[in-house]
Amino acid sequence: MQIHPKKIVIINALLIFIALPALLFALGNAPARSLLKDSLSLLTVLAFSFMLQQLFLTRNFKGIQAYYKLSQLSNIHKYIGYFVVTVFLFHPVLLVMPRFFEAGVKPLDALITLLTTFQSLGVVLGLIAWGLMLLLGMTAIFRYKLVQKLGIKYKAWRLFHGALSVLFISIASWHAIELGRHVDTLMASFIMVFAVSGAVLLVKQYVLTTEKRTGVTS
Amino acid sequence: MSNPEDNHGLSRRQFLGLTGGVAGMAALVSMGIPPGWADNTTAVDLQKRADKAYETDVLVIGGGMAGLFAAVKAHDAGAKVMMISKGRLGASGQTPFAKGMFAYDEKTAKMSLDEFTAAVSRSALGTNNPVYTRQMAEHSQARVNELKEWGFFDSVLYNKPFSKPITERNIPLIERVMITHLIKENGKIAGAAGFSLDAEQVITFHAKSVILCTGAGGFKPNGFPICDLTHDGTVMAYHIGAKVTGKEWNDGHPGQADNAAACFDGWHGMFERKPDVTGVEIRHDLGVDLNYIAYINGNPLEGGPPPELMRKNKVKGGPYKPEGFDHSSPPPGGEAGLAGGPPPRGEEPPRHGPPPGGEGGLPPGMSQTPVGGSSAGMAIHKSEGLVPINDQCESTIPGLYAAGDALGSYMAGAIYTQIGSSLTGSAVQGAIAAQAAARYCQNTPMPTLSAATLSTIKAEILAPLKRKAGYGPAWVTQTLQGVMIPNFVLYIKKESMLKAALAYIEELRDHHMPMLRAADMHELRLAHETANMIISAEMKLKASLMRTESRCSHYRLDYPELDNQNWQAWINIHKDAEGNMQLEKQPFGSWPTQA
Amino acid sequence: MSIHSINGCIGCEECIKSCPTDVIRLDPKTKKAVIKYVADCQICHLCRLYCPVDAIIIAPEKTIPVIVSWG
Ligand SMILES: Cc1cc2nc3c(=O)[nH]c(=O)nc-3n(C[C@H](O)[C@H](O)[C@H](O)COP(=O)(O)OP(=O)(O)OC[C@H]3O[C@@H](n4cnc5c(N)ncnc54)[C@H](O)[C@@H]3O)c2cc1C
Repeated sequence: MQIHPKKIVIINALLIFIALPALLFALGNAPARSLLKDSLSLLTVLAFSFMLQQLFLTRNFKGIQAYYKLSQLSNIHKYIGYFVVTVFLFHPVLLVMPRFFEAGVKPLDALITLLTTFQSLGVVLGLIAWGLMLLLGMTAIFRYKLVQKLGIKYKAWRLFHGALSVLFISIASWHAIELGRHVDTLMASFIMVFAVSGAVLLVKQYVLTTEKRTGVTS
Repeated sequence: MSNPEDNHGLSRRQFLGLTGGVAGMAALVSMGIPPGWADNTTAVDLQKRADKAYETDVLVIGGGMAGLFAAVKAHDAGAKVMMISKGRLGASGQTPFAKGMFAYDEKTAKMSLDEFTAAVSRSALGTNNPVYTRQMAEHSQARVNELKEWGFFDSVLYNKPFSKPITERNIPLIERVMITHLIKENGKIAGAAGFSLDAEQVITFHAKSVILCTGAGGFKPNGFPICDLTHDGTVMAYHIGAKVTGKEWNDGHPGQADNAAACFDGWHGMFERKPDVTGVEIRHDLGVDLNYIAYINGNPLEGGPPPELMRKNKVKGGPYKPEGFDHSSPPPGGEAGLAGGPPPRGEEPPRHGPPPGGEGGLPPGMSQTPVGGSSAGMAIHKSEGLVPINDQCESTIPGLYAAGDALGSYMAGAIYTQIGSSLTGSAVQGAIAAQAAARYCQNTPMPTLSAATLSTIKAEILAPLKRKAGYGPAWVTQTLQGVMIPNFVLYIKKESMLKAALAYIEELRDHHMPMLRAADMHELRLAHETANMIISAEMKLKASLMRTESRCSHYRLDYPELDNQNWQAWINIHKDAEGNMQLEKQPFGSWPTQA
Repeated sequence: MSIHSINGCIGCEECIKSCPTDVIRLDPKTKKAVIKYVADCQICHLCRLYCPVDAIIIAPEKTIPVIVSWG
């Protein structure tokens, strides 16, 4: 029986961006915690991995374009984007949320400590990444308005979106590697491999398209 | 994911087998205990020190319940105050773990203040100082109300509610500094000195008055969260000539056999509770009854809740309980009063269901096989500490005050009486001492500090860091624990054994204390704490030898009876001009005079 | 083995300040809390309770021999 290549893509994606990080999560050295806390951690790890996946769910990734229509692709990209942004929007809150259900520092106090530990590189990177993510999300949701208002080409917006994504993902990855409870060497390698290859892919694509364009005009 | 329960520890039997040989030494080193005598591997550059000096009217030492009120009330009385603590405000000493706080509410209490005081005296067999008992109850509601305002009763952790009044008043607070010396000039207090845990730094305080709120202490025992307390205040004060008291009494809290050192687990969620207020309930609890049963019968507990346990382990003799507080008759105000029964001081599980996040506020040893010595080296709260000369928490040294567990006020007596009164007593006395100290400062010029005194003190503080080789404080502590903690030494006492232990302790005092080494500031702290434990042990053994009777939490096998003829008296200890430890009786109900 | 591990530390130093027995210190290089003097851990859990990100895991066993009065 022949498996449809479309399915292969899906299976691959599921394996690489769900099964693999979940496996690394389970194999990692971080001590087990309560079901709630471990579920939240896993959710965060998966959201992170989905965020990396976004780099590949673009028109630039020829490997995928062969099987999916651009509109389909852009829809998947959009909904995954919603998911990722939602999880990370609440990421700082999710970190302290379990304290609602157990003794110890109060969640709000914990959050304040968390958000004001500026001497920590990881925290500062996290805050920057969070800000960039907001910017990325907002400019994505309101892209048509933006394009209209600023009178720029859609392509220019795409370039902006891509560049901002690469910046955001680099800083977020750095943050995760610096602070992540479940980011050991293996998990860090996973992040690095996909963050770097995704970024390279994107940059390559833009450099190539610009070159082509310059080629045409000159 | 790895299992945090991996046990890398050794069982006691393995340990006993190991300690002998070279293999034992290696094993100890691998477990993190440095060997006894060794070269000092110090990396501290003492030349590069940037010592600090501060000046203030009132110096409050200690950041527990007593220290909090001492600082706040001294400030409110107009004095310039500084607060200094070995640990964090509200997160060091015993205060962070206490959850039941007594308040005497005029409206609901079934007894008058005088009746209350009389009932405590009856339970305490006269060992309490009724002036302090009454004072505690009288001021309790006011302190509780203030704590409510600061959010104390809404918080499992106390640093935030404690910080509120301190920051509101801009009271300077320095944490993680261990004070090792009180400074006396011309017969009066003149300041204190210690060192920072975080920097290579000696810190000196020049002050008109000092309030010791340093809590009590122990022998870094297993099962009670008091390993940061080594009677530092008492020992410092003793060295400058202050009188101290209460060293023969015992806190008899049991621990639990499984992981005896895990005090969090042993207290079954109590540390995760918010504090609450308790009403009048007077008992006669947690002396050495369980220790006595264990001494006679072996480990007393093949299970069962306390009442059954007492019936099952019916033993003859043992510590005397006053009528109304013994096992046969129900004590006034509660169904407890049993040895090892529901603990005093409001530690019992709350009446309204289980506490948040815990299985119930049972103390160690209540649901499992108990073991003894969980609080070894500590007496009943408020029974040991500096001797007050009046009801103002003033010590025998002008300008030096003490409050809470650091003051031997005998507020509760030599046995636990009113539940939850320990926290309350610290709060009340902190405030009283503060007002007295502030008054003292108004009429006292800033004392002069002599350079000679300061340089001697600095040298003493730093000495363990400077030794090329010496005894590791952790090892000396373990040796001391081995001598002092067994049930047959300081709990169920007799002359021969007390003398034998004293010989060991004097050996440690004369030949180990002067040769303690320290490689860093953490170990410097351990070295000073070890020295303080040695002096405390000496005091405890000598006072126990001197009191030739049994009363409350002091039990002598060779003098098992109450001796009202000779022992309606407390034992005061001081250092004489030659540096020797002197013990003397002070009749119940009397005050000593200031030096 | 007393305080067992710190995972996901943000370097806020809450645990360092809250430890009554000075078991935890800040690693000067990584700027994160490290378990430095584990033998002195009294297993009171204050560090864990104060940690804003619940990074600390504690086991009930002591790393050094435990001396009790009877047992
Ligand atoms: C597990 C447990 C449960 C308890 N439950 C109750 C209860 O339910 N109700 C109740 O009323 N009581 C209870 N108690 C007793 C109560 O906690 C104490 O009596 C009270 O908190 C003592 O307060 P304090 O301020 O006098 O001393 P502590 O709270 O012990 O404070 C001492 C302070 O001095 C500092 N210090 C010590 N040495 C030095 C030094 N050399 N240099 C600088 N600073 C130093 C310490 O860091 C600390 O901040 C309990 C105690 C424990 C351990």
